[in-house]
Amino acid sequence: MKTTNRLTQWIGKTETFKKLSTLPLRFVLNFVLIVPFAIMIFLSFTKWEPLSGYDWWHAPIAGVPRFVEAFGDARLLWALIRTTIFVAVVLPLEFLLGLGMALLFLGDFRGKKAFTSVILYPMMMPWVVVGLGFYLMFQYFGPVNLMLLRPLLGEGNMIDWFTNPFLAFVVVIIADVWQWTPLMFLIIYAGLAAVPRRLIEAAEVLGASSVRIVRTVRLPLIKSLIVVALIIRGLEAFKVFDIVYIMTGGGPGVNSTEVISLYIYNLAIVYQNTSYACAVSLLIMVAIALVTRLAIRPLEVKPE
Amino acid sequence: MVRTKVAAKGIGRYLLLIIVSVWTLAPVAWMVSLSFKGPIEWYAPNLIPIQPTIDNYISLFVPTNPIGGSFFFTSITEAITKPLINSLIVAGLGTIFAVLVGFLAAYGVSRYRAGGTFVIFFTLLTRMLPGATFVAPLMVFYASIGLIDTYAGLILLYTAVTLTYAIWLMKGFIDEIPPEWEEAALLEGASPWTVLRKITIPLTKGGLVACALFILILNWSEFLFALVISVTQVTTLPVQISKYVSAVGRMYGTMASIGLVATIPSLVLAYLIQKHLVTGFTFGRVR
Amino acid sequence: MPRLVVKNLRKAFGTFEAVKDVSFQVEEKETLCLLGPSGCGKTTTLRIIAGLEVPTSGEVFVDGRLVNDVPPQNRQIGLVFQDYAIFPHLSVFENIAYGLRVRKIPKAQMKTKVHDTASLIGVDGILDVPGKKLGLSDMQRVAIGRSIVLNPKLLLLDEPLSNIDAKARERMRAELGKLQKEIGIATVYVTHDQLEAMTLADRIAVMRNGLIEQMGTTSEIYDRARTLFVAKFIGSPTMNLISCELVYDGNRAILKSEDLALDVTEFGETIGGKAKGKELVLGVRPEDLSIDVRKTNSSAIEAEVQLVEPIGAKSIYHLRMSRLAVLAKDYAMLDIDVGSKVWATFNKDKLHLFDKKTEEAIL
Repeated sequence: MKTTNRLTQWIGKTETFKKLSTLPLRFVLNFVLIVPFAIMIFLSFTKWEPLSGYDWWHAPIAGVPRFVEAFGDARLLWALIRTTIFVAVVLPLEFLLGLGMALLFLGDFRGKKAFTSVILYPMMMPWVVVGLGFYLMFQYFGPVNLMLLRPLLGEGNMIDWFTNPFLAFVVVIIADVWQWTPLMFLIIYAGLAAVPRRLIEAAEVLGASSVRIVRTVRLPLIKSLIVVALIIRGLEAFKVFDIVYIMTGGGPGVNSTEVISLYIYNLAIVYQNTSYACAVSLLIMVAIALVTRLAIRPLEVKPE
Repeated sequence: MVRTKVAAKGIGRYLLLIIVSVWTLAPVAWMVSLSFKGPIEWYAPNLIPIQPTIDNYISLFVPTNPIGGSFFFTSITEAITKPLINSLIVAGLGTIFAVLVGFLAAYGVSRYRAGGTFVIFFTLLTRMLPGATFVAPLMVFYASIGLIDTYAGLILLYTAVTLTYAIWLMKGFIDEIPPEWEEAALLEGASPWTVLRKITIPLTKGGLVACALFILILNWSEFLFALVISVTQVTTLPVQISKYVSAVGRMYGTMASIGLVATIPSLVLAYLIQKHLVTGFTFGRVR
Repeated sequence: MPRLVVKNLRKAFGTFEAVKDVSFQVEEKETLCLLGPSGCGKTTTLRIIAGLEVPTSGEVFVDGRLVNDVPPQNRQIGLVFQDYAIFPHLSVFENIAYGLRVRKIPKAQMKTKVHDTASLIGVDGILDVPGKKLGLSDMQRVAIGRSIVLNPKLLLLDEPLSNIDAKARERMRAELGKLQKEIGIATVYVTHDQLEAMTLADRIAVMRNGLIEQMGTTSEIYDRARTLFVAKFIGSPTMNLISCELVYDGNRAILKSEDLALDVTEFGETIGGKAKGKELVLGVRPEDLSIDVRKTNSSAIEAEVQLVEPIGAKSIYHLRMSRLAVLAKDYAMLDIDVGSKVWATFNKDKLHLFDKKTEEAIL
């Protein structure tokens, strides 16, 4: 009898434990995510700003017009285009540079640990500081101009980076590449190093040069890893906000370097066009969910 | 002949390594240089300050009137002590909560398959979607509840956002512990809580600490939500930095110094993570 | 001209000498087996021959050419690793063709070579299968094929059967033996399994602690073990070893221990000088010990059966002679069971006698 009592007690405990273990999680997520999410859905169908005078739950339902507005919004379109271009440029750059660095680090050499620490630290810096750093570097009287361009191209050929929308965008790209290439390096290097030593030796004995070994043995074996890394980085790159805010604030001008996160931020906080911001946010969320789903689909179907 | 070829390869490698290192160190090196320069040298290309000074750092904590008195300088009226402390509190508590909640949940998911689709789905979602998309309704919600510009509001937010990482990483560490040990204890009458305390936690301590440090770095750097939620009370360091950038215009030295002050904890944390990590931690599977 | 000559190889890792002084030759079409326990230096020796390790001193000659400074791919050798190291992401065809591609062999020629090799080793039906989907025995063949398609002068195999479970090992050992005969390249084979060595090799070099204890044909190693170590290592079940000493009773020389006395007068001359007064170890393989229920000859010794292990046509009998335990391997006899009294006869042609400090005196 004692054992069955004990047993039932134990079962009871594990059951409650099971429910309890995720309770705090649920609470937090519900509070911080679900509720705002619900509010967002609601508000997208209304027309409301904080200045409207009435509380938001009294906001009049206006139906779909918010979404229609979104589709006709040129600024939104440009923000999306800019962000897409940003990701399309940054991703291959970070991948290739990361790959190059990983290959450079393959094998043993003196000071490897030290060099690795140096290479990796950009990832760890606060993003705003990265933006700040490059902001300072590319100032008109900053080192890039003074140390590189003036000696090379002569006085009068220094560039005012941040007053030119295209160049400002370039600086943002450079900053992002600088910060996140180490991540790609890390992932790729881990993958390359994980290729079994035997396979490398077998290829060596068969006469393959180091380059050939990388091309025919190492790289093919980390293909799936690379895809995962690209997806992760791609998603994060799409969300870029901090460096743009600090370096250009969306300018020069009003929105020449505005990425999507910045636009939504402006809508919600600066212009206080809350219901519209909600609608746009919702649309973006749906779009991202769809795109990711489509991108993952071909990966899942692969017969293993 | 083979020897020289190998030697050349070695030199080539080191050459490239130097180039990469210079590229990597450049921004920080420049910031360090600027932070120790007086206003006269801010527009000069020299890396080593000719007249090094720590005025920039001092002015962070003891705001002074315009340095130099030139017309396009504006005054900095706030010391960074409050934002610094705010960052510490928010990042620290946010990390602690994330680790606690996350560990518990990760354990439940790993051993008892708790949560099911809800947990997985939403943890993925928080990572996929841009933070900005939550800002609008969040503002409304927080305003109604009175959480704007409060520690609680921001900490809660940070916890929620970093929970994905917390659960993901810690589940990996928990999975490495053979469940048989815990089952043995359970069969002897221990409650799941005791098992946690006496068995699981001691075994995953290294991973827990590394995880916590990593999340701490994330929270310390977090910008968007802090920018949105804080008004005057809970301004964190990154937000303060952005205010500096817009307010002080051309005071490169001070900007550099505040940037560095914000960076040093991150670097220290990164170093600590390296030390604490025995098994490498790659995103995804650990084995 | 021998295909491989290894001269005074020495390899030290810091203070640890993995290989102390190893020399041997391998002729064309001959299979030499490096046999020994883990850590004896056999794999290191192999890797030195392959070119994956640089010897601290000593020379390696392939086909008369000194190859110490030649990288592995230019030594004209094929190497098959312990776990085969098949490229999992490449098909069987591509795996075999890998070395050919490296050498930029023209496409048509390459295809023919691959196909020829594939039929030789029996994988021509699975040329499209990716490496990771292959079963072990196919992997073994592809690994061998990958090496021999380059027409090496020498084939090196590093414990190719040690990762396989016992049952499959029998089968693959047989296949490997067959393949070797068909291919006919000079081969150096490394293993710790003495049964493998005995089955597959023409000559065996038994290694211990970085040195070759004994080198000879399989029958030489088996019947004329020169050291105690070799005698113990080879043979299954292990050779019976009995401590004894040589005593003279008139004209007769007798090996005497507490439990038995064996007349060895016929060898008296050969062993006389070396054995006198020393502690000796008598070695007799279980299969050289025959038993019968009746005393069929004068030197048979009485024993009691403790255990019978049936292993097919023959059985292993665990015998007890006074206080001495020995094993005998003889044909299974239905009337002999636990407790039976039998007479054991030592086959005098197959006796080994060792100085207790590892040396051998006679056959």
